[in-house]
Amino acid sequence: MAVGTRRRPAPCCPPAEAPTAWRDRTGLSARIALVGNPNVGKSTLFNALTGAQQHVGNWPGKTVHVATGTLQLPGAAAPAQLIDLPGTYSLVPRSPDEALVRDVLVDRSGSDRLDLVIVVVDAANLARNLYLLAQVLDTGIPVVAALTMLDVAVTRGLDLDARRLGELLGVPVVPVRPRARGGLPELTDAIERAVATSGRPRRALPIAPLGADIEQALGKLIDRITERSAGLQPVSPRWMALELVAADDGVAPPEAAADLMLQLRPDADRVRADLAGRLAASADGLLAGAAELADLADTARADDLDGDIATAVAERRYEWVHHIVAAVVHRPAGQRPTVSDRVDQVLTSRWLGVPIFLAVMWGVFVATTRLATPLQHGLAAVVDGPVSGSVRYLLERVHSDQSWLAGLLLDGLINGVGQLLTFVPLMVVMFALLAVLEDSGYMARGAFVADRFLRLLGLPGRAFLPLIVGFGCNVPAIAGTRILSDARHRLMTSLLVPFVTCSARLTVYVLLANVFFGAHAGTVVFGMYVLSIALVVLIGLALRHSIFRHHPREPLVLELPPYRMPTLSVVGRQTWQRTKGFLRTAGGIIVVTVTAVWLLMSIPLAGASGGFGHVDVEHSLYGGVSRVVSPVFAPAGFDDWHATGALVTGFVAKEAVISTFAQTYGAQKPGDLHQAGDLGTQLRASFDRAAGGHAVPAVLAFMVFLLAYTPCMATVAAQRAEIGGRWTAFGIGMQLTVAWVLAVVVFQVGRLLT
Amino acid sequence: MVLRDCRPGSHVRLSGLIGSHPQRRRLLELGFVPGAVIQVIGRGAVGGLVVGVDDARLALDARTGGSMVVEPIA
Ligand SMILES: Nc1nc2c(ncn2[C@@H]2O[C@H](COP(=O)(O)OP(=O)(O)OP(=O)(O)O)[C@@H](O)[C@H]2O)c(=O)[nH]1
Ligand SMILES: [Mg+2]
Repeated sequence: MAVGTRRRPAPCCPPAEAPTAWRDRTGLSARIALVGNPNVGKSTLFNALTGAQQHVGNWPGKTVHVATGTLQLPGAAAPAQLIDLPGTYSLVPRSPDEALVRDVLVDRSGSDRLDLVIVVVDAANLARNLYLLAQVLDTGIPVVAALTMLDVAVTRGLDLDARRLGELLGVPVVPVRPRARGGLPELTDAIERAVATSGRPRRALPIAPLGADIEQALGKLIDRITERSAGLQPVSPRWMALELVAADDGVAPPEAAADLMLQLRPDADRVRADLAGRLAASADGLLAGAAELADLADTARADDLDGDIATAVAERRYEWVHHIVAAVVHRPAGQRPTVSDRVDQVLTSRWLGVPIFLAVMWGVFVATTRLATPLQHGLAAVVDGPVSGSVRYLLERVHSDQSWLAGLLLDGLINGVGQLLTFVPLMVVMFALLAVLEDSGYMARGAFVADRFLRLLGLPGRAFLPLIVGFGCNVPAIAGTRILSDARHRLMTSLLVPFVTCSARLTVYVLLANVFFGAHAGTVVFGMYVLSIALVVLIGLALRHSIFRHHPREPLVLELPPYRMPTLSVVGRQTWQRTKGFLRTAGGIIVVTVTAVWLLMSIPLAGASGGFGHVDVEHSLYGGVSRVVSPVFAPAGFDDWHATGALVTGFVAKEAVISTFAQTYGAQKPGDLHQAGDLGTQLRASFDRAAGGHAVPAVLAFMVFLLAYTPCMATVAAQRAEIGGRWTAFGIGMQLTVAWVLAVVVFQVGRLLT
Repeated sequence: MVLRDCRPGSHVRLSGLIGSHPQRRRLLELGFVPGAVIQVIGRGAVGGLVVGVDDARLALDARTGGSMVVEPIA
């Protein structure tokens, strides 16, 4: 994960709001968790062991929740539960997803405890991975180490002795190749053996010793904790003692101690009745002892290491780590820079980094629009042609007289499904490109290059991608905010994306600009893009200094994974999963709204001629609604039901704006001679009339409104799926307000100038 | 000398972290412990750095690069 994006004061991260289903252990023989640094292959291994479909890719921070699966060990009667966890650099958490790992490992007591932890160790990055392993050893939970990325280590010329590593660590070490399912039988064997013996008391747990002085101070604390927690089956006293002494400087020791003491008390409802009294009594005793413990910790801090015990503990652990690495890894003499390093010297360099980044973004933008367009047209043609045709044919044969049913099915439902389907190619192309960027490793570089700029808005560099994709279509852009691991960043990016002008809006700009500005049409359209970028920046700044004021400014510390050839299976699976997710969450809303608009256009107003489904647009409920809304736009110069009607449909889909113009003008009764002629003449005429002769500022105001207000129902649906209904409603409110105010300003200022 | 001032391609030894970096502890845990050898791989447009510690590659911003006191390795 972006180490640098989130901060909560350690060690008090509140438990992340994780689903707790994984705690239920009925019918399971053992509970086993996969723990490791980010991006080491945990989820790939999890998928290989359980047959699950967890998200994998090549950047740190993909898994953010607990996933569970079952694993049948050869000798066990019941299957074991396997838990896939987010990656973490440490068990002292700095973010909600890291806190989740700590909670699963060390906050549990009694029956919640893990029987085994599989520490997934990246062989090509042994030192830092062993640091985490040392921390896991301190929790006292039995450990099996699975060694991944041996292929990467080999290409770098590293020679690693896995057997020796196991001896030095005191835990089984099994080399695996998770992508090719290699080494899995050996791993399950090791798991089985470790689980079988995990209940038995052992002589000595393997630990990473921290040096005589620290160990001595720790020893005193450990004795005290053990004594106090007799009968409570606490998490490892060693872990607690360490958390206590090495508590972050910002957190007062007594508080930390009290915290730890509270952790010793099992949830009341899970305590068996006959034990309850005893437990409660000793928990009280523990709380009373907290102050004393804190004193001891203070002494330990002061005595041994001039105050900074956190540094000392980390330093000593790394001493142990480096000692082991030196014994098991043989490096070639005169190491050459790796391929990844040489690529990075170009891709992140001072002069080329930004241009290359912009070129990549441009490529993504062009591809999402260009590649998808023919596919979209193809799909639309199938829906409009053969599908509608055969439904119409069937309807004619069955109910030839029920034309409202035909209307509902053809203009409502099928039209809605058709609109939904035309998004699919767009989503597939965008998700596939994101997956390629992720799996190749470029995503992390892009985040580094863009970081400085987006930081002004309080967003991490990676947020650039959804914003760029938004120029093609806002819907996949909002779904794409999922690449951000922090919920607050996802929220803010989702609120900004609608101000990015999408290609559907472009078609309207082009039409209006040509009608009203002739030779200057290109400049006007370009101006809309400039305005869109300005809006994103300004609204981002406004949000950053209001609602998101409390976002801490975090320095950037981001791991760069080695470049890797993206694999078809990873890219394919991820594209499929995300597209499926989009259809599931946004599909319903789109179909329902399109159908609703059809209904409105079919219901005649009182006194109108023609029955349901036979009314012209002006006299339908739709026309009525448009006329009611129209006066709102008087200050913006386009109090005209045609314009408002187009905006109402535009709320559903910008693709429909032009067709609504055509439909509403086309539906005018003959005799309105001043509005005859082609669409352009009619548009000019009605803007002129509505604006009292100031058609140019009015149409500019209209275009600005069109740029800034809610892009389409599909965006709303996608937003609801990502950030929930309330924030979506807030977003819509913000868009409408900004759009209206801007439109009024444009018209009023423009009227003075023209 | 701080890490930010180092030329790409150079190897330096970390003497310590200065100032109150909000991620002080995390930096330690990532391997930026006193005595660690840091390899400066590249430098970005606005003072950001790409560095190697042990076998890992990390991108740091200018502020973080400025909080690491280093000495050249002969
Ligand atoms: N070369 C190589 N690549 C691997 C190996 N194991 C996994 N990968 C790749 O490493 C990347 C990361 O794998 P994931 O399974 O997503 O890693 P993770 O540990 O779950 O990552 P987070 O959830 O982000 O912490 C993917 O691109 C995998 O295909 C391996 O043994 N060798
Ligand atoms: Mg994962």
